Order: sequence, then structure tokens, then C-alpha cells
Amino acid sequence: MSAVQDINFASHGLSARQMAFYRFRRNPLAVIGALIVLSVIFAALLAPWIAPSPESAGSFVDFRNRHSPPSWDNLMGTDNVGRDVLSRVLFGYRISLGLVVGVLGVAVPLGVVLGLMAGYFGGWTETIIMRFTDIMLALPPLAMALAITAVLSPNLINAMIAITLLWWTWHTRLIYRIVKAQMNEDYIEAARVAGASHIHILFRELLPNCVSAVAVKISLDAGFVILFGAALSFLGLGVQPPTPDLGTMVATGSEYLPEMWWQAVMPGLAILYAILGFNLLGDGLRDMLDVEL
Amino acid sequence: MTPLLDIHDLCIGFRAYGQHRRILHNVNLHVNEGERVSLIGQSGSGKTVTMRSIIGTLPMPPGQIEQGSITYDGRSLLDLNKRDRNQLKGSGISIVLQDPMLSFNPVLTIGRQMDDIIRFGDIRTGRSRRIQDRHAHMIDTLQKVQLKDGERVLNSYPMMLSGGMRQRVLIAMALLNKPRLLVADEPGTALDVTTQAEILALLNRLVTNEGLSLLLITHNLGVVREMADRVYVMERGHIVETGTRDQIFAAPKHAYTKKLMAAVPPLYGASVKTTHHEGLKPIVTLQSVTKDFETRSGWLNRVSGRFRAVDDVSLTVRQGDIFGIAGESGSGKTTLAKTIMGLIKPSAGEVLIDGRPLDGFAGSQEFRKHIQIVYQNPGSSLNPRRTIAQQLSVPLKFTGSDSAAIGGRIRDLLELVDLPQSYANMYPHELSGGQKQRVAIARALSVNPRILVLDEPTSALDVLVQSTVIDLLHRLRREFDLTYIFISHDLSLMRNFCNRAAIMWRGKVVETGQISEIFDHPSHPYTRALLSAIPVISAEEDALKPSITKEERAAVLATSTQLEDT
Repeated sequence: MSAVQDINFASHGLSARQMAFYRFRRNPLAVIGALIVLSVIFAALLAPWIAPSPESAGSFVDFRNRHSPPSWDNLMGTDNVGRDVLSRVLFGYRISLGLVVGVLGVAVPLGVVLGLMAGYFGGWTETIIMRFTDIMLALPPLAMALAITAVLSPNLINAMIAITLLWWTWHTRLIYRIVKAQMNEDYIEAARVAGASHIHILFRELLPNCVSAVAVKISLDAGFVILFGAALSFLGLGVQPPTPDLGTMVATGSEYLPEMWWQAVMPGLAILYAILGFNLLGDGLRDMLDVEL
Repeated sequence: MTPLLDIHDLCIGFRAYGQHRRILHNVNLHVNEGERVSLIGQSGSGKTVTMRSIIGTLPMPPGQIEQGSITYDGRSLLDLNKRDRNQLKGSGISIVLQDPMLSFNPVLTIGRQMDDIIRFGDIRTGRSRRIQDRHAHMIDTLQKVQLKDGERVLNSYPMMLSGGMRQRVLIAMALLNKPRLLVADEPGTALDVTTQAEILALLNRLVTNEGLSLLLITHNLGVVREMADRVYVMERGHIVETGTRDQIFAAPKHAYTKKLMAAVPPLYGASVKTTHHEGLKPIVTLQSVTKDFETRSGWLNRVSGRFRAVDDVSLTVRQGDIFGIAGESGSGKTTLAKTIMGLIKPSAGEVLIDGRPLDGFAGSQEFRKHIQIVYQNPGSSLNPRRTIAQQLSVPLKFTGSDSAAIGGRIRDLLELVDLPQSYANMYPHELSGGQKQRVAIARALSVNPRILVLDEPTSALDVLVQSTVIDLLHRLRREFDLTYIFISHDLSLMRNFCNRAAIMWRGKVVETGQISEIFDHPSHPYTRALLSAIPVISAEEDALKPSITKEERAAVLATSTQLEDT
């Protein structure tokens, strides 16, 4: 099998990076995903400058203009107090991406380190870490998040903490499995024979072999974190008004369905757009880096 | 007479990553009815692509047949429609794959997998047979590959069979639909040499008895000599030489063929190079070393049995020796190597390095400056995600060198193993197998050890690359006054490389001494069985091989035709 497919193109002057980039470019969906993600990131960063009505992000009210349908003045219409929905969506992306960075910024390093340790040390370390992970995975995530935020008082930071507490487990399992497979390779023993420390083997030998899988997982995760955050906000346990959050907007807008549909549908589509982008990008990265999740 | 299989002017190219590369260049090859033909070439020469284009499993794209034709029995294979071509599978052309483990589905019984082959063969040819008939046919076919215990084999799962039996079953599977041409891809090379000899003998007998034609694809010249009427030599997609077996072996014409022949280490005869030198004081001493492994199973992982991997081994390696440890898989040679490296603690007995016991010494910085190891497969012993320089720096970093000294040392090391400096920033996959093994040797040498344990350092390499690595090892030994412990199953190589050796069999050392003594006057029947099974490339060597009686052979070798009673 491999003999035919592993024909060595490296000798033609293509580096591994060039070959991976070639695979990525040849995958139109991945490129579309990357463009969507970039547009979301730009929208979030530049919201104060590109939003048609930046004051709509706050507790601004304009009752003369409330419930106006999409028009050239308000591309996504206005909400129940007359704020521009498009502006609020752009600012809403700031909250969503902030949530993604906050959650994954803590959950991924934590999960990766625990996974590396469980796979490498084995024995009791493995039993304790992996059984605890199993217990965490056995809890229904949304119910857990609801319980945590309800106890801690509902706001963005607490929602972030709740999601983080649930999220690291997936990375632990992923890394654990990769490390277990790598432990059979001679380079681990070779490093031991060379006198390498545990820290060296964990972070210099094993971690580089996990990076591509983690990159793909992060990209696929980002969409789910946005969705999860929006779900919490929708239930009133996440971001509180008047801060513009996509989940909260869907919740408030849903009271005016179906006549004034744009108030719920537009933020809903915005969530869909971002998640679609991250998922397409994640799938593209998976093909490009050739990892199994 | 028209040949059974005729490949005419075949050119195959591959297109990937926007680049095009031609893999086969105007290949001409034919197999006559009842003839045994060998296609020989090193890895990457295009022999697998040739085979897959014959059986129709070449991935297209990226593969592309650019020119030429393949004719089987007067019909052009490349022009046949899918249905007609499928009909030839198994009943016209059949294949025996290389790896007897990977070729089976581990969760289905052998019987089920064989039955599938018959049923799908029947469907293609529009027949239908009752299950009893199919069963009888399977038992018959297993008889042909000398598996008398057919009923039990059919009810077994692949993991219950030994490697040799699996290879036999694979051959039986290829025979199920009565093919006329058998294509064998490196048959038996994944097995021990004694088992390989049995498999080759079996194939030879089948070709005669069943009136088959054989196309054998291999890299092993010794196998070709025993298995072929006619030979094709392939180099980088070109057939560079063809002729009858005797022509090729007696008077090779093409430079590449000659180079290939010269690179095969001779087992006997005038061209054998004997390494004459006497070691000085003892540097590694093993005193009745025994290692038991516990097998655990059942509830709470209780110890359920013991397996003795190394059994009361005493050896002395002297400074300057190239000490060979030979044996087949499972003989305990790798366990012994790991015990010497201090990676496995012996259950009984003692290992002394330079007169010092391993307890408290193994794993220390000083110990690492005494002894280092080179692994069998550089693909596994080098970290795929770290640059060559990063990997070479590890032993240095952990013996207290500072970063400036490390940089200089890496440059020296690359020079030492004849690799260009630019390789420092490359990743392992950008290097060839031989180059990777050079990096592994450089890494082992980085802290100036006095002893190197070489665990089959060339078995993953082609024979031409092997000889350059062996030359490198010779040079390094002279330059740095090294002692080698060379673990291998390749006795021909050991004969030419080592000055002393030990033969291991089922955990015991059955024979030890000067290399020429062991080879010229083998005393233990196992040594004789091993030596007589090695395929060699000249009649002269064949004549000098020790002879062994059937009874002696049966006493030391497990047969690959019967299931063990468990």
C-alpha cells in the first residue's frame, strides 16, 4: 500500500509545509472556511469602526425606530428598543471570540498537560487522571454549566469558567491516545538512554507530535464553544444585557417571532456563519495535517 | 509460443502536488507458461508499481499509465472492462502478499476469509457451489500448502497461527480459484530465515505440481537464485538487465547488477572477509544472566505465568571486539541487549560494564559515556517532529554541555558520518533510510561512548546502503577505538563484520567463539539449521554450507505446518 503512495516528492524540492499547503489550497471548502473565520475575526476587531451605529452596542434607545425591518439604513433591521441589529451582531462577535480565546486558552493547555502526563507516566498517574476525566465526561455538559453559573451568579466570566471546567477533558483524551501510540516508538527509549529528563521528553519529544491534532481540535472546538456560550446566554445564564451577545439577542428576539423575525434570525444566522467557518477550517486542517481525531 | 503475461514498453507516471514524475520507463517483461520469473530491485526501484499495474490495483490517479500494454493470455489487460478484468482476479492472476499479519482481517476466522474468496470468485465467474463443496475445496487447498490440520486452521483466528502458517494460508488463498499465474511479493521476507526456506521450497513445489507460472518480486538475490528460471533486474524504473538465472549470476553484465552482487555479504568461500583481531581486556561481562517476564491476566491482573526470555547467559566481550549476537525472532537477543543497556533488570545474574556492576551505575551520566545504542529502525528511533540538530543535541544537553559547545559538536558529528551540514535543520522524513541511520549512529556517538550496542542496524536498509553503513561502522571503530555488540539475524553479514559471535536459541547461548570457528565448524544443530537455510548467491557457497539431517532439524525448529497444542 504505502510503497506506491509514499513516492518521495521531497526530492523534487517540495518541503512538508509546501505539500501540506498544496493539499489545503486544493480543498475549496477549507479555503472558504478560512475566509469566513478571518472575516469574523476582522469584524470583531474592527467593530467600533465598521459598525454603522456603534452606539447601538450599549444601552442606546431610539423608540421611534423600534422594530423596523431590514432596509438600507438598517441592513438587519432594528430590535425592540430601536438598536441596529447589524451593529450589535458585529459587537456580539467580540464577546463570542473573547469566550473562545478565554475558554480554549485555559482548557487546552490544561487538557494537553494532563493528557501528556497520563500517557507518559502510566500507572497511578494514568488511572487517576483518566478516571477523573471519565467522570467529568459522564456529566451532562449543559446541565453542569447551568448549575455552575447559577451558583456563581450569571455573567460572562462565570460562563467562561463553567465551559472551561467541562472542556479540558476532550483534549486530555485526545492527547492521551496519541501519547499512548507514540510510547511504542523507539525515540522515547532513545531519549531515555540519552539521559533526557521527563520534562524534556514530555514537552520536547512528545508535545511536537501532538501539535497538529490539537490545532485541528481547537479549530473544530471554537465553533462549539460559541454555540455553547450562546446557549447559556439564551437561557439567561451567560452575558447580561445590555452587552450585545448573539445568544441573548436570539433570546430577546424570539419573543417577537414570527412577525419581526429579523430580531432572532439575524443573530442566529451570525452564529451559524461563524460555526460553519470554524468547522470548515477544522476539516480542511485535518486533511492538510493528516490527523485522525 | 506466446507468453502468458507480456508487459510491453510500459511507462507509468505519477502526478501529485502539481508535479509529474515518471516511475516506470519502457518496461518490457514476459512470463511464459510454467516459467518462474524474478523481478529484482531495491526499494523505490518501481517493482511494486509494476506488480500493482499487473493486478490492477494501481491507484489512478495519482498513477497514470502513459504508454505500453500488459497482455495476459492474449488479452490486453489495460483495455478490458472492469467486469472482465475482475473475472481474471484469483482465477487468472493471483497474488501472495508480503506481510502475513497485515494481509488478514484479525477479527474473522481463517475459514470465513477463505470462504469469501471462493464465493466472490464464484460470483465473478457465474458459478455457485454448496457450502459443503466449498469447505472440501478449502481443506484440499490447505493440503496443498502442507497444512494437514485443515479443519482446525479454518476455525482459527489469524493471531492463533504462527508467521509461517499464516504465510502458508496466504498462499493457499491465492490458489483457491485455481490461477495460472502467481505473483508473489517478497514472500517470506518478514519471517525467520529457517521458515522462509520452507516457504520458498513450498512455492517451488507448487509451481511444478500445479503447473503454475510464477512472477516473484524481491530484493533478495539469494532468494532469486533458488526461485527463478529467468531474472529481470530493475533500477529506478528501468529494466537494466535480463537473462536466465545462470547468466545473471555467473556473468552479470550491467554495472548495477554487478554492484548489487558485490554488496551481498558472502557466507562462505574465498570472498569472505574475516575480521582478524583479538580483543583486549574484558569490557562487558555477563554472568549467568536470566530474565523472566511475567504474563498477567484475569481479574486484578494477577501473575498467570512466566516466560523465560534469557536463560543463564554468560558472555565476555573484550575491548575492541565486534561481538555478534545472532538468533531468530524470539530468541532473546533484543532482551539481552536491553539488559546490557540497563533498560531491563535481569531476574538473576549480573552484568558488568568495565568491571562495574550495573546497579547504581546504569542511567548515570558516566554510564551514558560508556555505552550507547543504535536501534533497528531509524524511522522509529528518530522523532519525526524534531530537526536533526535538535535530536543530536539531546545526549549532549543531558551530559552537561553548554549550547555553544553543542553547536560545534553537531557540526563535527555530521561530518563524522559523512552527512552535509545543511542536514542539521532538516526533519527525518526528508532523509533516506541510510541517511537516517547515519544520524542515529551520530547521536549514539555524540557523548564519545566506548561501547555501541547495534540492534540490527542495517536490517531496514537495502543491501547497497547496508554496505556503506557497515563501512562507516568499520571506520568509526578504528578512529575511536570502539567496541561493538552487534545484534542481528543476518548471519552472512555477521560473518563478514564480526570477529566473535554467540548464537542464541530459545533464550540460551548455544554456541560462542571466533566467527570463523562457528561458521566453519558449527557444533550445535541449531547453528547448522540456521546456516543451511540462508539463501546464498553462488553454488560454491551452497556446497560449503553445513548439512543437517531431517531429524536434527526437527529437534531444533518448530514446524510451520502444525498448530501447537495449547
